Amino acid sequence: MTLLCLATAPPDTTGRQPVPSLGAGRSGLPDAAELAAVDWRAMPKSTPRTPDADAKAQFEEQALPYMDQLYAAAMRMTRNPADAADLVQETFVKAFQSWKSFEQGTNLKAWLYRIQTNAFINSYRKKQRDPYQGSTDELEEWQLSGAESRTATTTQSAELEALDHLPDSDVKQALAEIPEDFRMAVYLADVEGFAYQEIADIMKTPVGTVMSRLHRGRKLLREKLRDYAVDRGFLAEPEGATR
Amino acid sequence: MTDCGCEKAKAELEEYLHQELSDQDLRDIEEHLAGCPDCSREHLIGVSLITRVRQACCETAPEELRLSIRARIDALRP
Repeated sequence: MTLLCLATAPPDTTGRQPVPSLGAGRSGLPDAAELAAVDWRAMPKSTPRTPDADAKAQFEEQALPYMDQLYAAAMRMTRNPADAADLVQETFVKAFQSWKSFEQGTNLKAWLYRIQTNAFINSYRKKQRDPYQGSTDELEEWQLSGAESRTATTTQSAELEALDHLPDSDVKQALAEIPEDFRMAVYLADVEGFAYQEIADIMKTPVGTVMSRLHRGRKLLREKLRDYAVDRGFLAEPEGATR
Repeated sequence: MTDCGCEKAKAELEEYLHQELSDQDLRDIEEHLAGCPDCSREHLIGVSLITRVRQACCETAPEELRLSIRARIDALRP
C-alpha cells in the first residue's frame, strides 16, 4: 500500500538521495514477500522527499477525495452553503494537523466524519445563532406515531409511486426539518452506508441510541414526504387525517 | 417453512434494510417478505426512502472551497 504510493508519486528532481523507507514509515519495513512482489524497475530512481512533504502528498491523495462527501454532509448539518464550506475547511485543517495520528489501513472516511462531527458540535454549533434544537431523544411517542397509523388509510403502492415523483428539493427540505440528531443518523446510515457501530463512534453515542434516532428520523422523514406528496397532489389526502 | 410473522418483520425491517441482522434473523425476514405482500411493500418503501435520500444528498464541493482548502494545507505542516 505505502510502497504503491511511492511508486505512483510524481518523481522529484531536486535531489538524488534515495530514501526508500519513507513510505513504509508507519507500517514498519516491508517484509520479504512484499519486497519480492515489488517491481523495482518501475520504481522512481529516487524519492528525495522530506517527511513533511511525503505526509502532505499522502494526505492530499487519500483524504482530499472525500471533499464532496464531507461537503454534502456539512450541507445537511449546517443547512447552508457558507457554513458548510467553513465546516469542511475546518475539518480538513484539523485532519491534516492530526494526520500523524491516523492509523493507515483503518477507516479513513469514518475518521474524517468523526473530525467533522466534532468540529460541528464544538465550534459551529456554538457560533450558531439558532439555539440547539434540543435533545431529541426524548421526543414523545405521540409525536412519532403518525407514519404507521396512516399506512392503513393511504395505500402503500400510492405512497411508493409518490416517493418516486417527489423532487429532490422536497427530500432535502424534509431532511432539513427533522431534528439534527435524527437527520445525522439517517444521513450516516442511508447516504454513507456506515454500520450502526461506526455511527455510534462518530456521534459518540451508544448503538441503541443510534438505532432509535435512525428509526425515528426515517419515520418522521417518511411522514413529511407523505405530507409533501399530498400537497403536490401526488397522493390523496388520507381520510380522517387531522393535519 | 416457519414464518416469523408480520410483527417480527415490521419490528426488524429497519435493521434488515441496514444489514444489521444476524444470519438467522436475516433468513427469517427474507422468508417472511417472500410470502407477505404487505410487508414486502413496506420493505420497498424503506428501500425507496434510502434511494431518494441518497439521490437528493449528492453535492459537489464548490471549486473555490477546493482551492481554499489546498491553499490552507499548503501553508501548514502535518
